[in-house]
Order: sequence, then structure tokens, then C-alpha cells
Amino acid sequence: MTVNVRNPLSTLRSGLGAAFAAVALLAAGGAQAADLNALIWCDHSDPALLQPFEEANNVKVNVKEFEGTGAGLAIVDQSQPGDWDVMVIDSIDVPRGIEKGLFEPLPEDKLPFADLFPEVTMDKSTVVDGKRYGITEKFGYNTIGFNKSKVDPADMQSLASLTSDKYKGKIAIYDYYLPVIGMAALAIGKKTADLTEADLPALKAELLKMKANAKLVGEVTASQTALATGEVDILVGGGEWVTAGLAKENPALDFSIPKEGAVLWSQSLAMFKDSKNKDMALKFIQYILSPEGQARLATSACYWGMPSNKKATLTDEQKKILRFDEQPGFLARAQAYPAPNADLDKKMQDMWTEMLQAQ
Amino acid sequence: MSVAGTNGRALPWALVTPALAWTLLFFVLPFIAMGLSSLTAHEGGALTLANYSQFFTNPSYWRAMVNSLEVTATVTVISIVLAYPFAWILAEQVPERWQRLALMLAVLPFWTSYVVRSYSWLLVLAQNGVINRALTSAGLIAEPLQLANTRLATVTGFVHFFVMLLTLTIFANLKQLSPSYRKAAADLGAGPVRTFLHVVLPLTLPGIMVGAFLTVVLCIGDYITPQILGGNNELVMPQLVMMQIGRRGDFPLASALSIILMAVVTVAYLACARWLKIERA
Amino acid sequence: MRAAVRLAAWLYAIAVYGFIFLPVVVLILFSLQATSFPIPPFTGPSLRWYQAVLSDARLTSALVNSLLVAVLSSLACVTLGFLSAWGFARFALPGSALLRGLITLPLTVSYLIIGMGLLVLFNWAGVPKSLIAAGVGHVVINLPLCFAIIYSQMGDHQINIERAARDLGAPEWKVLLMITVPVMAPAIFAGFFLSMTFSWDEFVISFLLTRFETTLPVEIWNLLRSGLNPKTNAVGSLVFAVSIVLVVLFELTLLRRKTA
Repeated sequence: MTVNVRNPLSTLRSGLGAAFAAVALLAAGGAQAADLNALIWCDHSDPALLQPFEEANNVKVNVKEFEGTGAGLAIVDQSQPGDWDVMVIDSIDVPRGIEKGLFEPLPEDKLPFADLFPEVTMDKSTVVDGKRYGITEKFGYNTIGFNKSKVDPADMQSLASLTSDKYKGKIAIYDYYLPVIGMAALAIGKKTADLTEADLPALKAELLKMKANAKLVGEVTASQTALATGEVDILVGGGEWVTAGLAKENPALDFSIPKEGAVLWSQSLAMFKDSKNKDMALKFIQYILSPEGQARLATSACYWGMPSNKKATLTDEQKKILRFDEQPGFLARAQAYPAPNADLDKKMQDMWTEMLQAQ
Repeated sequence: MSVAGTNGRALPWALVTPALAWTLLFFVLPFIAMGLSSLTAHEGGALTLANYSQFFTNPSYWRAMVNSLEVTATVTVISIVLAYPFAWILAEQVPERWQRLALMLAVLPFWTSYVVRSYSWLLVLAQNGVINRALTSAGLIAEPLQLANTRLATVTGFVHFFVMLLTLTIFANLKQLSPSYRKAAADLGAGPVRTFLHVVLPLTLPGIMVGAFLTVVLCIGDYITPQILGGNNELVMPQLVMMQIGRRGDFPLASALSIILMAVVTVAYLACARWLKIERA
Repeated sequence: MRAAVRLAAWLYAIAVYGFIFLPVVVLILFSLQATSFPIPPFTGPSLRWYQAVLSDARLTSALVNSLLVAVLSSLACVTLGFLSAWGFARFALPGSALLRGLITLPLTVSYLIIGMGLLVLFNWAGVPKSLIAAGVGHVVINLPLCFAIIYSQMGDHQINIERAARDLGAPEWKVLLMITVPVMAPAIFAGFFLSMTFSWDEFVISFLLTRFETTLPVEIWNLLRSGLNPKTNAVGSLVFAVSIVLVVLFELTLLRRKTA
């Protein structure tokens, strides 16, 4: 047996280089070029949504779930150009991706724009310099979700009920800072679009009042579960996205758009400029926006929501659960997600952390 | 390290270098990278101490550390108090030939998936869960107790796991004790209580400390259990770290918080270091 | 008095067993739930959720991924751990205590921090997220364990047998393969088995370091996030069953070794 006699340090250094090279090489072989790589929210990972597209186009859709635009953009930052083909993003945050030069303009003539609810196309965010970078695929409301057999539905017409003693300990708060801060803004009579740093103290006071009434602050699952199993009767930030999917299990679950209004959430699809598979990416967006794709997306396993395409092939029962016909009235009273800049965003998140920590 | 000259010096280095290189490359180097990252600004990447000063100036960040320490201390103490008598019963009261089986049974739920274990506790503790249903139908309580989504739930989930772990380490330690120690103590006129306090307990201290240290390391760094069972009514450090990554992609701040957490664990390590030596048999 | 102690001991033991088994029993019971919520009242038994798990391609492929990562990372761990343990036990190396300390150091660090460190490093080095990256992390957490177990079992008598073999003219590699490995087999096996267990069940490192293809604990976490669902009970019960089979196999092989 021969052993090279070497300085251990140099062995170490060459080992270091080799190991990195090997890891990088092996890891790079992960995703194949023919696949479609999609950065998505959990509603897009439903096989019932993806499989028909995969089979029709003989392509594999790789999905990575994330929550929140900050986290999504961080994933893109950590990736190589061309790693991703399409992305789901809050419509209101599309400009953040455009600023970073990530997105490719979408061909409006190849997409069913005329069929969309006009209130949710969000042209102010999704169109820059006359070019469209995002198309709204699904929307809904962050408002009051509740169990109508346990609470007085009349109370659910006012955000003030959330902080009243009557429902102390009966409330869960959805653990996502933007929509709930938006609701707090509505409760104190502010417009979600106009929030500034000066509003934070008043918003914080409102959030702390909600927290004092709350039993838990939960992510999608925890808050859904709490409402569905009777752990709480009211979900702050809830809406059709919580109650619709559970309607079969618990028909007493409902949501209201209170007199102060509600926060409109709207998710868009965008295509990456560096995508190596733009034809397939466009086909994917076309599929999601098609009446069939829209129906599947609207009733996806993770959460339900309104399809942005009015022609979505939903059954009458599904439409009833989503309250499809009441949308014009709802939309008229809804306000957009707050869209803070990076600095205010950080302050809002810290405020949120403070709310979580409050006893 | 000196330059190896002969074949006789090269072989041992060839044996230990792969493991050392792995540790340097994938443990020490990442740690340095994390340290550097913690000193940069999230936006722009300029050198800054802001990530650390945030922790020390923001009370809700501080609070996360306090919560972590409180939860970890509570869990460690309760787990030891529950596990010690249990390990003792297994080692002393259970007939020899059944001991192996009894111990196996005691740690069987160890093999359920770690994510699923916390989730199971949620089912047990929920408002309409097994415990509340049992208590209400037995007429012991009128209104369901709030068990899930509290610190109590987090602590219960942790204690469940660490009782098993500590039972293992303490049991192993008790079995190593030669019966002659106890006999000698008895011969010298010590009663069972004094024998226990002055002989058995000190001799099983290593087992307790090893288990306690593992409990502290695993407990203070765990994200899943508080996230599933705590209902976000308070945050512990790992939740705060994951929040920075998951919500904002703020690696520098997450790095700084991790390093602070690591520093605290190091203190615990130094406190237990004398019991944690790995020696050859 | 003695009987009272005995009775108290039994009652205590039963209570602790009850505490330990409560969540497992609930988990398995409600995996057989017929309706959509795994909480009382029990509506089963039904196997629909097991069917749902087995027909879920993401879960089954995650299961295969988990096994692959566990086996491969554990092989790497025992190889590296065994070689270094042998090196340190057999030879007096300068700074040996310090270097041994270095190898076991990751034992004292939370998985979250190890995962964070690797994430930052890989990010900086441009290494994409993958199962391999997670496997690298698993070797980091399990190598100290394998090293410690194997090193602690390398007694002087081992060294004596090796010396005898060497004195009889056996070359070094032959001593290693014919003497050391067989004698150390129980410790190597124990190290491998423990690594497998920890890797199989590890969450946070895999969560931070994988992308599309991921391991079972991460996929279960994703499942959990889609709601309270007896499917999670079913997959949890299945994982439990697989683990129990592994443990029993391990016990049997170990017992056979002992009696042999």
C-alpha cells in the first residue's frame, strides 16, 4: 500500500476544492431542462391541478412552495438564472419582481383577459410601461371567518366585534402579517393603501387588542383546524379560502365582509425572463387561466378561492360555496393588500413579532 | 501539525483526514460563513453590527430567548424528575429477563416520526381532543380546558420525547453500578434512603448530566414542537430564526440569531463538559 | 413496606407507560377514521386514508428519498467515523485530543444551526439545494456519533489482536479488513443504525437544504400544513410500522451475534 506523503493542510485544501466541485456537480444534475420549474403557493401543488397539464404536454412540473413575497424573492436570489420558469406572487408585489428585472412581459392577446373580473386585474401593479408582467389567477378576502352556529352573524358585520369582550378567547388570528395589519387598518378607519410609519402605533394598539382576545395565532392549517374543530368560533383574516374547502365537513362555517370593508388578496402568475422553457411556461399560464384550470385552482386541496376568470367551469354548488354571485358587492367594498416598502415591511414584521410575543 | 516524513506517519493522517476535512468543510466553514453573514446588512451587504444590536434592543427578540430558556429549563427538570424513578424501576424492580423488553417498550414511540409526534399531541390536547372529551364525559369538567396552543402543550410534547431519552441514559448508568456499592453502604449501616442519596444518586449523575445536556441541545434548537403545539402565543428562538428566513429571506439576521443561540448552548456545554468526555473503554 | 414500594413502583411505571403511549395510540386509532377530522368521536374503522397515502406520489417518492439519504449518509458516516476512530485509537497523533474534540463538536450544536450554516455556505458557494446537500448535512450531524461509538469501543484488547496479526506479518490493510472490521462490527453496526434512525427522522436540515425532491419528514410537514387530516395519521402510523420492523430486525441480528 502506498500512501502519498503530504502536508495534511494541503491535503485538506485540495480535499476542500474537490468536495465542493463534486457536490456542485452532483447537485446540479437535480432538475432536468425539460421540466417546468414553478415557484408556487400550496394551492398549485394539488395533483388534481397539475396532472392534467403534465399529461397533456408530456412535461414534469417541479414545484417549490413558499409563503410571502420576501421569501419567494429570496429563493430566486439564491438560485441560478434560468432555474425557474414561472412564479406565483401577490399581485400587489409584482413590481418588486419587475424592479429586480426578473420577469418577462406576457402576451395579452394569448391570454383570456376579457374574461377576467376587471376589479382584480390590478393593472396598477401588474402593468409597467405598458407591458403586462403578471396575470391574476385567483383572489379572495382576508376578512372574518366564523362558525354561524356559535356566533351572532349580526356581530360579524363589524370589525369592532373582534376586540369586544363578548368573543374573548373565541378568536384565532391568521398568522400572516400583511392582511391582518390591513384589517387592523380598516378597523381604525385607515385606507390600506395609505399606511405609513406614522400609523404603526395605532395599528399596534389594535393588533394587541385582537391578540388579547385571541386563543391562538396560526398558520393556514392551525387556524383552519381551530375553526373547523370548534377550538375557536372566529378567525381574523379568514375568508372563503378557509371556509369554502371545509364547507362539506362543517357547513356552519361562513365568512362576512363587514361594514368597514375587507382586505382583497389576489395572486398572479409571472414568467421569468431567464426561463429556458418560455413556450412551456406560457402554456402553463394559459392552462391555469383556462376555464378548466381555473375551476381546479379555485377548488384546490390546500385552499379554495375565487377564480379570476368568470368562465371558470365551477359547479353550481361550488359557486354557491364561493359566493360567486355576490362578488360585485364584495369587490366594491374590498381594499388592497398593504404594500409596504422594504423598510416599512421590516417594521411591520417586527410589530407582528411583538404582537405574537404579547402575553 | 508537523509535516509527515515517513510512511508510518502518513497512514494515521490518511485515516483521520477525511473525517477532519468533512468536519472542517461542512461544519467549521459553514459556521464561519454564518458568522460573516451575520455581520452584513440584509439590503446592500455592508458590514454592520445591526443584526446583533437588533436582538439586544428589541424586547420581543429578547423575549424569544427568555421563552426558549424557560421552556428548556422546565422541560429538562420535569423530564429528569419523571424519568429517574422510571429508569430506576426498570433497572431495579423489573425482573432481569424482562428488562430488555420493558426498556424497548418504554422507548418504542421514539420511532414514530418526529414531526408526527407533535401532531399527535395536538390531537390529544385539542379542544375536542381525547383528553377534553374524556374529562367532559366523565363529568369532571363542564367546559373544555385550553390545553393545545399553550406553553403547557409545548412542554408536554417535549417532555414526552425527553423522558424516553433520559430513561435510556439513566437506565444505562444504573445498570453499570456494581451492586457491591450498595451492599457496602448497607453494610456500613446506611438505610435505603441514605444509600440512594449518598451512593446511587452521585454515581448516576453522569447519566443524568449526559441526558440533560442532550435535552438542552435538542430542546432549545427545536422548531417543530413549539410551532405545532404552541399556537404562536409566544415565540421561541428557532421560530424567530425560521421567521427571518421564511418570511423575509433575511439570512444575516437569521445567522446572528443562530449564533446567539449557539453561544447559549455553549454555556450549557461548558457547564456539563466534565461529564461529556468520550473515552475509550 | 416493601410491598407498598412495589405497588407504588408498578403504578408509577404504568402511568409513565400510559403517558408515553397516549399519543401513539391516538395517532394510530384516528388513522382509521372514516371521516375527515382525526378527532373524537371515532367513526372508523376505515382504510381510506392509507389508500390515500399510498396513492400519493409525492409521499411515496419522499419515502424513497428518505431511505436513500439515510442509507447513503450513514454509510459515509460509518466509513469516515471508523477510519478516524481507528487512526486515533491506534496511533499517537499530535493534538489528538483537540482533533477528536473537533470531530465530536457538531454533537453539541442544534440541527437548526448546522442547517443554517450549510444554507449560508452553499448559498455563497453557489451550490444549489438538493437531496445531496441534505445528505451532506446528515453526515455532519451523524459522523460525531459514529466516531464516538466506534472510538469508545476500541479497547486495548483490539490493539493487542491487531499487533499479534501484524507481528505475524499481515500487511496493514489486511489487519484492517480481517481483524479490526470484524471485531468492531457491533459498534460499526450500532453507529450505522443510529445514523439511519436520525437521518430518517431529521427535519430542519432537509427542510432548509432541499428543493423539489425532499425527504419524508418535510413532505409530512407540508401535508400537515394543508390541515388536520387523518392522512397525516396514516402516514405517521406507516412510518412507525417501518421503524418498528427495522428495530426488531436490528435486535434480532444483534441478539444472534451475541449468542453466536
